[in-house]
Amino acid sequence: MSNSHSDTIPLHPSSQSDIDEIENLINASVQSGPATVLPARPPSPPRASIPVSSSPFIQSKIPPPPPQSSSSSNHKVPSVPAAPPPPPPVGNSSSIVATGFGPPSNTLTEPVWDTVKRDLSRIVSNLKLVVFPNPYREDPGKALRDWDLWGPFFFIVFLGLTLSWSASVKKSEVFAVAFALLAAGAIILTLNVLLLGGHIIFFQSLSLLGYCLFPLDIGALICLLKDNVIIKMIVVSVTLAWSSWAAYPFMSSAVNPRRKALALYPVFLMYVSVGFLIIAID
Amino acid sequence: MQNFPPNSGSGRGYQTLEAPAESFEQQPPNNWKGVFNISSYTQYFNVDTDVVINRLISSFHPTAGDFFNKIEANPDLYGLIWITTTLVFMLSCFGNFATYLMQKHTDGTTTWSFDVGYVNVAASGIYGYAIVVPMAFYFLLQYLGSNASLIRFWCMWGYSLSIFVPTAFLLLIPVELLRWIIILITGTASSCFVALNLRSYIEGGNDLTIIVIAAFLLQMALSIFIKVWFFP
Repeated sequence: MSNSHSDTIPLHPSSQSDIDEIENLINASVQSGPATVLPARPPSPPRASIPVSSSPFIQSKIPPPPPQSSSSSNHKVPSVPAAPPPPPPVGNSSSIVATGFGPPSNTLTEPVWDTVKRDLSRIVSNLKLVVFPNPYREDPGKALRDWDLWGPFFFIVFLGLTLSWSASVKKSEVFAVAFALLAAGAIILTLNVLLLGGHIIFFQSLSLLGYCLFPLDIGALICLLKDNVIIKMIVVSVTLAWSSWAAYPFMSSAVNPRRKALALYPVFLMYVSVGFLIIAID
Repeated sequence: MQNFPPNSGSGRGYQTLEAPAESFEQQPPNNWKGVFNISSYTQYFNVDTDVVINRLISSFHPTAGDFFNKIEANPDLYGLIWITTTLVFMLSCFGNFATYLMQKHTDGTTTWSFDVGYVNVAASGIYGYAIVVPMAFYFLLQYLGSNASLIRFWCMWGYSLSIFVPTAFLLLIPVELLRWIIILITGTASSCFVALNLRSYIEGGNDLTIIVIAAFLLQMALSIFIKVWFFP
């Protein structure tokens, strides 16, 4: 399959690499049995930078080998064994696995439950970093390195739904107002910091503002269950203070110290308005 | 033997007047990098906390008339955006509360109900006013040949709305007469702020007094609208 003969049309470089891939796969499967599957692409690359994949392949064209007696719980999709042998040295060595399994697995053919579990564990770990006291709070960049947008999405929708359930009239309008306020608010707050000359990554900031809604979610749930105004006020004040405390170090370190109040005031305004919505919806 | 033209050595030909390369500018340098680039808008947010507070406090003095001098070099849109947003929130929040208090005052048996439509009306009303009115004045003054600067107009009108934020809080008092007195006082103060600053800024002399009066009346109309719709 070489293109060194002058009487043949030279192959396109990408098809040459595909042919190499197929050769390697055949060789690998012959040598080490069907227990190894060449990874197609590394799973969950770190988000703070552009994902680097040194693998020249995008998709594996060969169907995965039939499932072995290894730990597969999914019947439809052949799964990758939990501890595959070290991968062949063809350009896969730099892929990074956030979950620490070892060599990367093929995320396209893994069971759905594995994907969901990985995303859920990422949400929980991000939540612990952002909302609860931990030693990384002083360095916000380190705290939310593995940001994602699923968590904020769940929290915003949950808050909108809770407020909508609490309302007795105009339920859909309440949901619309809450969702628009939170989603547009997160984007506008991030833009505010950028316009004031601060340095943050756009999606990391959106992610952080979404995670800081978690205390207000709890507050809204409690207010849904208990309808007393005094209790609502106390609960909302406590959760509001908690949310502001969670968001403070990130926002204040992103801008020039002389403009810190200018960057923090809109955050406070958004959380106070959401808190008021929680108290006021009857 | 003299070469002709005399300063051909500098390579400029007959041009004896050396135009300064970039040193004269009729307006400050504009870092416009395109509509979708954030860094082309950061020039309008180049303010510190103390500058913003200073401008806010000066907006509470309706008779000073020197606001445009203050913002001449560095107009900012931060005040416009966040004062209007705060006002929208205050109006919808306190408006609901004040309506409830007023009904309770007169009726005694009403229960609390949160009308989320207040948020929509407040947002469209305040944002619409704060964006459209300065633009209208800008285009009108451009048409009439006077000087006008859109950013400075937006900045000034934005800060003129700041007095309505404590007003919204004061209008919670459920006494009708007191509410009218409060809104008329603050509406007049805000309108005077707008009118006097506008008058000191535009250079058209007495022909453009009608513009100043129109600005005054529009601001008064906004304050009456706030009272009638949100604090009935």
